Amino acid sequence: MSTQALLVTPAAPIESMLQRFGPPIVILAIVLAVWEFLVWLFDVPPWLLPAPSQVAVRFTRTPTLWYHTGLTILEAFSGFAVSALLGVSLSALIVHSRFMERGVFPYIVVSNSIPIIAVVPLLTIWFGFGLAPKVMIASIITFFPIVTNTTRGLKAADPRILDFMHSINATRSEIFFKVQLPAALPFIFAGFKIAASLSLVGAVVGEFYGSDRGLGYLVITSATQLRTDLLFVSIIVLAALGVGLFTLFGKLERLVIRGEVDTERPT
Amino acid sequence: MSDEGAARAEAPSPLIRMRGVGVVYPSAQGPVNALTGVDLAVADGEFVALLGPTGCGKSTLLRLVSDLLRPTSGQIEVRGQPAAAARRANEFGFVFQEPALLPWRSALENVRLPLEVVDYPASDRQARCESLLEMVGLTRFRGHYPHELSGGMKQRVAIVRALAWNPSILLMDEPFSALDELTKAQLQDDLLDLWASEKKTVLFVTHNISEAVYLADRVVVMSAHPGRIARTVTIDLPRPRTADQRETLPFLALVREAREALRGEPATLTTPTTPTTRAS
Ligand SMILES: Nc1ncnc2c1ncn2[C@@H]1O[C@H](COP(=O)(O)OP(=O)(O)O)[C@@H](O)[C@H]1O
Ligand SMILES: [Mg+2]
Repeated sequence: MSTQALLVTPAAPIESMLQRFGPPIVILAIVLAVWEFLVWLFDVPPWLLPAPSQVAVRFTRTPTLWYHTGLTILEAFSGFAVSALLGVSLSALIVHSRFMERGVFPYIVVSNSIPIIAVVPLLTIWFGFGLAPKVMIASIITFFPIVTNTTRGLKAADPRILDFMHSINATRSEIFFKVQLPAALPFIFAGFKIAASLSLVGAVVGEFYGSDRGLGYLVITSATQLRTDLLFVSIIVLAALGVGLFTLFGKLERLVIRGEVDTERPT
Repeated sequence: MSDEGAARAEAPSPLIRMRGVGVVYPSAQGPVNALTGVDLAVADGEFVALLGPTGCGKSTLLRLVSDLLRPTSGQIEVRGQPAAAARRANEFGFVFQEPALLPWRSALENVRLPLEVVDYPASDRQARCESLLEMVGLTRFRGHYPHELSGGMKQRVAIVRALAWNPSILLMDEPFSALDELTKAQLQDDLLDLWASEKKTVLFVTHNISEAVYLADRVVVMSAHPGRIARTVTIDLPRPRTADQRETLPFLALVREAREALRGEPATLTTPTTPTTRAS
């Protein structure tokens, strides 16, 4: 009994890291090895399916990669930031005004059902080939999840706490900042996480059409020139960005939100 | 605020007065008569229990007093002013059936919430919260978040939160009905201690007969459809109340009287005291 208990005691940090990341790394290594071997065995042409080693080489030999990546991040982040600012403010308005809720919500729903790809050329006509249309697309595509989640969160405040606040004559802004907004934070972060990956999609889609830089441009040109190794590099970078953003917001969320989900005990 | 005591000696004006109060809620099935013809006067420092079945309008009555809801008819006055004035003067401390604490604030920060709203001097807040938590034996838990506290502890936090800025009227809506028997008995005694030391006026809603009799100076028995006051039972048991009293004959007689009033039976002839005398 006691030896069994010893076996399940928490492992040392390095050991637990190994336990957590060991298996997926092993699996990945196996998949890459099989892939490499099959490409070699059947002599697959690189334009059809490059070997992992070829992709790795391309990754190190594309000096402009970080320039394109940086640009896409800038567009995605700007779009996200604009959307977060406008979205959270609009949600606050919606929650405080029945008129705004009834008047604005239908259009938010409609805007979400417009295929964004169809809007890209229009924005390009209006705003040219610079950063602006990409930022706009990123912000349009992220607006819906931010507004809907934030609105739901602001309405999630305990009605008895609201009664309590009213009974002590609290002002609207006191109620908003002390009760509604903190109560909405988990919802806001849920919206932000969805929006973060969508903002990348928006920026890349914007770059597909009429752009000579950014990861979207890299995807399109490498595809049309059959530089499949470069296409793989771009896709991998985009995937890594998506995972990175998601993790970042998860970490931020744990930093910002206190209580309930927290298991640490202050002494 | 000095009253002409002599002129009013025979009938001190009540702290809370409701006259002919009615509330009609609109609903899909037509208007709901939640309360009709409610006349109620509560003296300063009195502990009044509102006892009645679910749906008889007890919560509605508390919401009326605290100006969270306007009556459809009748008047409500607190200190001779409309209830809204009393709300603006932060006279009401509200406690609900569920603790309704903010999960992202520690016990102490939850108690501090109203102090941040009612213009309590910032430099005194910390000390005030600490002494309040000490009163209910939670000093050790002041840094704990609600999910780390038991149901009874959370309700204690909710009670001192409602007392934090020293409001004169405590409104409690079935505050102990979600607690187990032992915790409930403990909190009832704690509440009586707090009430004795802090000199509050309490409106205490419950559907537990023995709880109402144990705590109150007066039990206002209500009945439903439409919600109204059926009868008032004066509890002339000595204070301080102790758990032993629950077994005494006078206590049990009062419980029976309240139960009969709840059932809608007329006052029995065995009623120990003259039924019409008010607590004076
Ligand atoms: N907001 C509301 N809209 C419609 N009907 C309501 C509302 N609030 C309460 N009622 C009705 O009014 C009556 C009294 O409710 P309430 O004051 O909550 O009673 P109690 O607290 O004694 O259970 C009930 O019949 C209830 O269904
Ligand atoms: Mg109720």
